[in-house]
Amino acid sequence: MRTAPPSNISWNPAARAARLNAGLAVGLVAVLGLSLWIGWVPIAPDELGAIVRAWLGNGADDDIRGKALVFGLVRIPRALLTILVGMGLSAAGAVYQGLFRNPLVSPDILGVSAGATFGAALGLLVAGSSWLVVQSLAFAFGLAAVGMALLIARVVAVRPMLVLVLAGLVVLSVFNSSITLLKYLSDPYNELPAIVFWMMGSMSRGQWGDLFIAAPIMGGSLILIHLMRYKLNILSLGDLQARSLGLNPMVYRLVFIFLGSMVVSVSVAVCGQVCWIGLVIPHIARTLVGPNHEQMLPVAVLSGGIFLLLADTAARSLTMAELPISVVTAFIGAPLFAYLLYRNRGSGWS
Amino acid sequence: MSLVCRHLHFAYNGNPVLTDVNLEIGRGEFCALLGRNGSGKTTLIYCLAGLLRPQRGTVAIDALDLLRTPRATVARQVSLVPQEHTAIFPFRVIDVVVMGRTAALGFLQRPGPDDYREARRVLAELEAEPLAERNFNRISGGERRIALLARAILQAQDTLLLDEPTNHLDFNNQYRLLEIIKGLCEKKGTRVVASLHDPNLAARFADTVVMLCEGRVLAGGKAGLVMTAPMVSRLYETAARRVETQDGLAFFIPCHPGGQSSVPETGDARQNRWT
Repeated sequence: MRTAPPSNISWNPAARAARLNAGLAVGLVAVLGLSLWIGWVPIAPDELGAIVRAWLGNGADDDIRGKALVFGLVRIPRALLTILVGMGLSAAGAVYQGLFRNPLVSPDILGVSAGATFGAALGLLVAGSSWLVVQSLAFAFGLAAVGMALLIARVVAVRPMLVLVLAGLVVLSVFNSSITLLKYLSDPYNELPAIVFWMMGSMSRGQWGDLFIAAPIMGGSLILIHLMRYKLNILSLGDLQARSLGLNPMVYRLVFIFLGSMVVSVSVAVCGQVCWIGLVIPHIARTLVGPNHEQMLPVAVLSGGIFLLLADTAARSLTMAELPISVVTAFIGAPLFAYLLYRNRGSGWS
Repeated sequence: MSLVCRHLHFAYNGNPVLTDVNLEIGRGEFCALLGRNGSGKTTLIYCLAGLLRPQRGTVAIDALDLLRTPRATVARQVSLVPQEHTAIFPFRVIDVVVMGRTAALGFLQRPGPDDYREARRVLAELEAEPLAERNFNRISGGERRIALLARAILQAQDTLLLDEPTNHLDFNNQYRLLEIIKGLCEKKGTRVVASLHDPNLAARFADTVVMLCEGRVLAGGKAGLVMTAPMVSRLYETAARRVETQDGLAFFIPCHPGGQSSVPETGDARQNRWT
């Protein structure tokens, strides 16, 4: 009410976000180039022409043909899939943090990842080696876990968000125990290592086939989330405020939870659990352009793609054996998160 | 053009909060809700906003049934300034104000430059433009109240519901805020329902006064008729007297500040409760 002195930091988040997004898009392309170039099979830039000719079927020596295979069948699909997963997990993180009105929420809160991991473990035990079955089960159980959490919350039907968090906790612990049970029952020489390695998460399984299935689902969900992103501002005020402003929170919440869960299920199905992205990247975006989802979400999506691609490139080229990607994301993400908490102390989070 | 509420009954988990409340508030009318703590003022305001669903009774503005109409339609007519509000995320004030446009936006729509321009105009009208770029969570309680009023004005100007708008405001700002709201009634024909704790503010600003006691309407009508010393004494269950200043302003003063009514009207359990 007191007319306060004009704020000395007067900045326009929209303009800032536009500049930043342009920069991030350029950065993403640069990191993509870097990631395609780096690796244990060295590919010199001047060999690129020969590789393209080899793809087109023009005669080339065995060395170039081998490199063309590495480039076309391994590095490109893997890099694209990594970008997509990074983008998807950051977007899902931003969505869940907005919905649950809590900047410390990760996309696992409703049990998506646990459900998907359980599905994958089940597939590894029952169906043997068919990746499609494993991935389909992961996807299906990821969505089923969220569905269960929503159903429990619906039956309880009071204090929707609080109950939803608790219901998510129930589902999460049931699936985590089930995973433990599956591990216990599995053959310790073949199946157990398969489950454990699968859970560690890796982009190394990424192939064109995965990309063709994942890209439409993830891309479609990302586009819808992007188009609806403003409503996250309203939902983050809580149900009563949202209704008073004329928004039906139930409908939007269900749509957002569905889209977020699709994205997370697909990414767990493709590459196992990748931690920290969904938690840290939205934070980084918020420190860069403020909490308004209109600006923050695109920044989070682009940074997520860059972050995961960098992490994956490091994971596969730092050591002789490939590191699990979650190890890399956690080693970078956890200290970064601690630093952000320190920097944002007293910024008005309650 | 009246906001009409008929035979309103509301209970939380079987505990009645409002019993048979009847109101009729015309356009451009400033209606003050008075009552002790826990008398049901906030619940009534939320019922009038259509945000709480009463067990019985109707709330309507002419043909528009506020309890059965989609939220977006209601929100374009009725806006609410809640009592307490902090956002989880540190939004800018201008972003909070623009949220008043939510009801006017489609499924995939976002507020555009016009909406931001309107939001700035409303802030300027309230002499609060310097707040626009500041962090909503870091401004003072009074500034937050003004920002939320701006949001409500941007949202709807037909009916404005205010839940204890003078809370956290200093001595002068209480008057400033109510002057602004009174101005809306007079210039734009806005209907205002505000719950107030100070009967003196109600006597000064309100056209009509509704006195709530334990969820029932104790008295309601023109402020001049209702705001008498005996009624104020009955409402707050403590003897009060009416004093007039030389320029004709009426003030109510408790005869035994903090004490109880000399003549208990109902059971003794209710005396001097804090609820």
